[in-house]
Amino acid sequence: MAWLNNAATRDEVLANLPNYQAGFNALYATLWQLKEIPAQTLELCRLRIAQLHRCELEWQREELAIPPAQREALQNWPTSALFNEAQQACLAFTEIYTMDPQAISDEQADAVKKAYGEAGLVALIEALGLFYGLTRLTQLWGLTSTCEGVSS
Amino acid sequence: MSATPRVQAASGGHGDPVRDSALGLVPDILDQYIPLSRKVWQEGPLNPAQLEMVRLRNARKVNCVFCRNARYDIAKEAGLSEAMIQQIDDNYQHSDLSRREKLLLAFTDQYLDAPTAMSESLKAELVAEFSTEELVHLSLALLLFNTFSRCAVALGGMPDELPLMEVSLPK
Repeated sequence: MAWLNNAATRDEVLANLPNYQAGFNALYATLWQLKEIPAQTLELCRLRIAQLHRCELEWQREELAIPPAQREALQNWPTSALFNEAQQACLAFTEIYTMDPQAISDEQADAVKKAYGEAGLVALIEALGLFYGLTRLTQLWGLTSTCEGVSS
Repeated sequence: MSATPRVQAASGGHGDPVRDSALGLVPDILDQYIPLSRKVWQEGPLNPAQLEMVRLRNARKVNCVFCRNARYDIAKEAGLSEAMIQQIDDNYQHSDLSRREKLLLAFTDQYLDAPTAMSESLKAELVAEFSTEELVHLSLALLLFNTFSRCAVALGGMPDELPLMEVSLPK
């Protein structure tokens, strides 16, 4: 439960500012309809950020369905045969982005561009920013006691 | 950090530095982000000077040189001076900034450094000083600032230094 207004969900927190909520929801909804990068790939990256933050609430959230076997194998994506080359490139980028965006290598960026082009890389980076931020707000607002947390 | 931009800028012609940058390659996001960003800056409840302090604290900690050296004109118009900006460093708790300003920066640091570890005393101070609407506004603003500073870093091509640049809200 959020300490700032007893809200239990992100929507309940944002409902305190209805004139922003609609705009934010529209921005977030756009991520799942981009032509530059598949929504399923973005969902895998969002879930990986949740794992890296040890945030149970964001891990349990489902923005769109992905195969259960892929969800189960996500933590071991580098050695799993369930992820294609493009997904692996994005997950590798996601991990380093989450830890420190200054540490991203040109090779990691090139691997994403090889899969989805320059616009795909920009779309991925923008989406990761929102996923990263929303995960941290979930934790900061205290929306779940099972968000154990990591430092940046 | 890569000194070479990883993505070429969009084709340009919009006359807007954001739309003409690499971010312009994904116009669907900008079409939603820009009006939301303008609303966050212009429609309170926190004023632009307060938001600019949060943005600059985030920029310094993320080490986004572009963001660090930008100064929003509307924040200056709202009373934020360069002398105040100079106090947004790691010693801000001992600065001349107001209690309210220090709390804005403390919230920012908590988001950036340890979002699960906010002390009960800081929560109590925030709730006592700010309305719920102000805290949600602060959260959303920080989310957008952090998203786009990390974006700028991840896209590469960041110079080591830049002169201060006065900027306006994107259109």
